[in-house]
Amino acid sequence: MGTTASQLGKDLLSEYQELTFLTKQEILLAHKRFSELLSKDERNLPNTRVSMERILTLPELKSNPFRERICHVFSTSDQKNGSLSFEDFLDLLSAFSDSATLEIKSHYAFRIFDFDDDGTLDCGDLEKLVNCLTGETDDTRLTTDEMRQLINNILEESDIDKDGTVNLSEFQHVISRSPDFVSSFKIVL
Amino acid sequence: MQLLQRQQAALCLVILCLTEEQDLVKELLAMSARDRTRAIRDLPMSFEEKKHIRLLLKSFRRAGYSIKSARQTLELWQGIMKEIGGKFGSSVLSYFVFLKWLLMFNIFSFLVNFGFITIPLLVYDPSPNIPPNVSFRGLELLSGAGYFTYTVMYYGGYNNATTVGQVEYDMQLAYFFTIAVYMVLCGIALIFSMASSFRQNYVLADSVSDSAWQLLCSWDFSVTNERAVRQRRNNLRVQLKESLSEKDQEELLTLSEKLRHYGVHFGSWLLSTGLAVGCGASIYYLYTENWSLSQEAETLLVPFVVSLMNLAIPLFYSLFNKFEHYSSQRRQIYTLVVRNVFLRLVILAVLCYYWMNVVAEKFSCWESMVGQALYRLVIFDFLFLMLGSFFGEFLSNVIGTRLLPSLGVPEFDVARNVLDLIYAQTLAWIGIYFSPLLPAIQILKFFLLFYLKKVSLIQNCQPPRRSGRAAQMRTIFIFLLFFPFFVGALSVVAYTAWTLSPSEQCGPFRGLNSTFTVVEVWMTDLEGLSDSQWVVWIYQHVIRSELFYFLVTLIIIVIIYIFWQVTKGRQELIRLLRQQIINVS
Repeated sequence: MGTTASQLGKDLLSEYQELTFLTKQEILLAHKRFSELLSKDERNLPNTRVSMERILTLPELKSNPFRERICHVFSTSDQKNGSLSFEDFLDLLSAFSDSATLEIKSHYAFRIFDFDDDGTLDCGDLEKLVNCLTGETDDTRLTTDEMRQLINNILEESDIDKDGTVNLSEFQHVISRSPDFVSSFKIVL
Repeated sequence: MQLLQRQQAALCLVILCLTEEQDLVKELLAMSARDRTRAIRDLPMSFEEKKHIRLLLKSFRRAGYSIKSARQTLELWQGIMKEIGGKFGSSVLSYFVFLKWLLMFNIFSFLVNFGFITIPLLVYDPSPNIPPNVSFRGLELLSGAGYFTYTVMYYGGYNNATTVGQVEYDMQLAYFFTIAVYMVLCGIALIFSMASSFRQNYVLADSVSDSAWQLLCSWDFSVTNERAVRQRRNNLRVQLKESLSEKDQEELLTLSEKLRHYGVHFGSWLLSTGLAVGCGASIYYLYTENWSLSQEAETLLVPFVVSLMNLAIPLFYSLFNKFEHYSSQRRQIYTLVVRNVFLRLVILAVLCYYWMNVVAEKFSCWESMVGQALYRLVIFDFLFLMLGSFFGEFLSNVIGTRLLPSLGVPEFDVARNVLDLIYAQTLAWIGIYFSPLLPAIQILKFFLLFYLKKVSLIQNCQPPRRSGRAAQMRTIFIFLLFFPFFVGALSVVAYTAWTLSPSEQCGPFRGLNSTFTVVEVWMTDLEGLSDSQWVVWIYQHVIRSELFYFLVTLIIIVIIYIFWQVTKGRQELIRLLRQQIINVS
């Protein structure tokens, strides 16, 4: 489905409206911002993919601690390099939009937090998650003892079947008790 | 006969098919796109029927989208809210959302009052009957007296006519019922939003909402400012460390330290209560003393002092707070909020007491006097809110960046600002009976306040360093709006309508014993008409009978008890199911 820089066809627009949670204005704005990331000759090619580095220059993603994970999760490229096509980009915005349901958001949040992509959040994933949110440098990290205690607290609270990992249903159960999640899991252009 | 029966059966079948189709379409609309295509394929219908269903679905969804985009373009301040949410996070945004919500209340109130009360009066008597020696001077905008006293702004400008032009329009009933219905609708709207907010944010989240996991999952993805992100990460780390070491810290406190903390708490509470009561007493003293100032300056004195107190005393409370030791930040915020609420309630109580007891006896057209006092309070409140923005945010920013860099750039104090809004709205609610067009002033005030706060926020404040519990704070704010403030305003208006006798010379209720006798007079009029007997029956046996209220209260208590038991049973069930999950895996 090739798209030119200046306009999206009406059929394409209605198809995008049906398949995502975005409104018409949001889709058009996303198209505009995506085209700005492409160079002049790339704009006329259909199905162009934008590399992760260029996506990460967007101000909405630039300072996000999870920016690389977000690109990897929503990318459908074969080389697994985190590059996004326009439809991947729309997918991203749809999951992070105002009207997306709690199920969609928690599903994608789980995938973003799952750093090793194995379908569960084990101790390694949780440790990387905490480090991502507290700081990367050595003097801002938690000590090993604190990290271990923190992960134990987390597992005690959310691991219902006591297998040492948090799977998708347990994660969604915890999220459903957090009323702030839906309003904070949002990226708006 | 048989033909008729067959026709009826066919009609029933068609209606059944139509309703079945409606249910099917509704079910399909609720699914996601992929499930929908699969479900349509699974339908045991012919191709034609499936095409028909798909077309129906398409048209419904198109209609839904166009309604949604239309609503988005019409919504007020949508772009500004997105900008604020992106830069400052959801807890600061909740202040602006609250402001917009209160604005809607006032717009509704203004439309209702203007439509049902003011327009009939303007039709009946387009020119206000102002005495010849009174002219419009600029000072009226501030004091509300003088020229404004004789216009439709206040209660005194309305009359008790029963016919307007050619139409029979009972002004007394209109005035009474407009205000009563508006207050009841406000109450219902507040109860519903409080209940839904409570259900979403408190009941679903149990006591573990302070846990580390919740902190991690509530990372605010919409914050785009780099410095804000860095500060939030720092604070998250501090919060995580605190939550880890909290349990140890509590046990380490010795008895003497605990006693010291309790002593400091007790002293602060005593001091803050004393301050609040002192403020109330001084306002009463100011009102009753005879000052040798000009008449206008005297009327402006009390609103000035009230607003000054509302600005200055909370700063003292914040100062006390710094000396006290709290086990969690949330308890600190709640204590501050409770003290501020108490201060404002005391001030409002003293003012209302003075108006109900002293002004009602002293002046001839006392409702207009009270209306003017409220007008002045609203205006001065707005002026001092502007001043508060100046001192609280602009000066703090200047001090924090140039003079004392250790203080840093100020943050937007959501709790204090929301309390200011709640207080302002309470003044409007009390004033509705005495000054029906006060909501217009309130609309203007809130409009200007939105832009003022937005500019001040963007220029002077930094994003909040801690991730606020926006959802819970919102529930508490709505609860505060409803419980002490709205209920208080409603009681003041109800007390005025029920007990106090309206003034003799002015207003729509002149000559009556109390405002409520309007309804009694109307009921006696209705008894004469034969087809309105049911209204009279409802009035006599439902509204005036005490047995009805007693029975309703009893039934409600029984229902609450049953629901409570059901909740306890469900909690037990959850515990059992959790145990089963562990056993099974």
